[in-house]
Amino acid sequence: MTTARLHRIVMCLIALILALPLLAQEQHDRKVTPVKPATNKVLTPPKGTDEKIIQQYLTGDTAQARAQERKDSLARIYPHYPKLTELSLGLNFGDLLMMAFGQKYTSIDLSATLNMWNRFQPVLVVGLGRAKDTPQDMNFTYTGKLSPYFKLGANYNFLFKNEPRYQLYAGVRLGYTTFKYDITDVNINNPYWGETGINYEMRGVNSNALWGEFLAGLKVGLFSNFALGWEVKFHGMFKEKKNGNGKPWYIPGYGTRNGNWAFGISLYYTIPLNHDRWPVKDDKKGNVKKGN
Amino acid sequence: MRLGRKYGALVAMVAVVAVVAVTSCSNDNCMGNSSGIPLAAFMEGNNKVTLTSLTVYGIGAPNDSAIIRNSSASQVYMPLRITETTCSYVLDYNGTEVGNDTITFNYEIIPYFESRECGAMYNFNITSWEYTQNAIDSVAIPNPMITNSDVVTINIYMQ
Repeated sequence: MTTARLHRIVMCLIALILALPLLAQEQHDRKVTPVKPATNKVLTPPKGTDEKIIQQYLTGDTAQARAQERKDSLARIYPHYPKLTELSLGLNFGDLLMMAFGQKYTSIDLSATLNMWNRFQPVLVVGLGRAKDTPQDMNFTYTGKLSPYFKLGANYNFLFKNEPRYQLYAGVRLGYTTFKYDITDVNINNPYWGETGINYEMRGVNSNALWGEFLAGLKVGLFSNFALGWEVKFHGMFKEKKNGNGKPWYIPGYGTRNGNWAFGISLYYTIPLNHDRWPVKDDKKGNVKKGN
Repeated sequence: MRLGRKYGALVAMVAVVAVVAVTSCSNDNCMGNSSGIPLAAFMEGNNKVTLTSLTVYGIGAPNDSAIIRNSSASQVYMPLRITETTCSYVLDYNGTEVGNDTITFNYEIIPYFESRECGAMYNFNITSWEYTQNAIDSVAIPNPMITNSDVVTINIYMQ
């Protein structure tokens, strides 16, 4: 390294050292705009927040407030109805209605439905059925004596988030009946052998049957505690008492043996239970919150 | 909102009921015969055979009426009497050197209600049967309960 180069380096260092205070001074003179802290802004809670939660936030108990908020949110999504929500008494008059359209058999039944948590609904049905038919161009009169039938089952309400006034449900039933029937006015011809006008009758033939049903139904509140309901049923026979003289045409509570479909229309009267524990509406959208 | 939901539900249910009303229509036809009646088939071994120039008639049938007369047949209905518990049929093999055969059925008469579509009728429980063996080898009735089902119930095995 030459002496001249060494001299240049030393001069640069001296110039840099002399310039440092000037740079520091310039930094010190830069103007900074102060930011006003927002400590005096009024925080407003979301609309509809419970006063209790607001107080918890204000007192600094944010964990408790958040837990309560979550609980209320869940209550809005899954409103919690009491175990015994309501009891509905129903009158199924679907077959009576169908008689007006020429149906040759009828039944009427009373049902008791216990609505639990607005979801599960054990059902008991007790009814009476009868039939009388003399088909045109046939050779007999069928008389199904007035006989009782019973059904036991349960529904599941898919609209459990809504008011119990409106229900869409699926259910199962186990039905049983014991009954008697007559076959009379039988007229038989055997043309090859020239045997005509042969008559016989069978009276008091007794039988019993056990069957199952799958059903889907809808219940709509009408006024006061009254509601109207429709049910579509698919049923099948489990067991039937064999008889050496034939099979019954009509089975009380089941209907006729040919065909697996049936339907019912019922009028319900509902008795609310534990109504003070039902979720109550808290906004215009119909959302509900847990009651006290 | 509530009104809309109510009417929506009503419309839905009316639709469901209409569908059920349509789909629940039962079959109004009788799938079998209107009375219990035996159907006899002519057999050779396990195969059905056709007999030519065959006449089949019941002994005592009015006006000497025949079930079939001088016709070809592989099977034939043999209606049973409903005022007596026995009846006989003659098989006449016209134009052959073989003599006629006679089959006699003894049975119980059972009043039976089949269905609304088929009506009330008689079924028959065949308790015994006899036959001659001119052209017949044997007669078998595997299921002696004669119902209105349109199936072969009597097998007549030919020599």
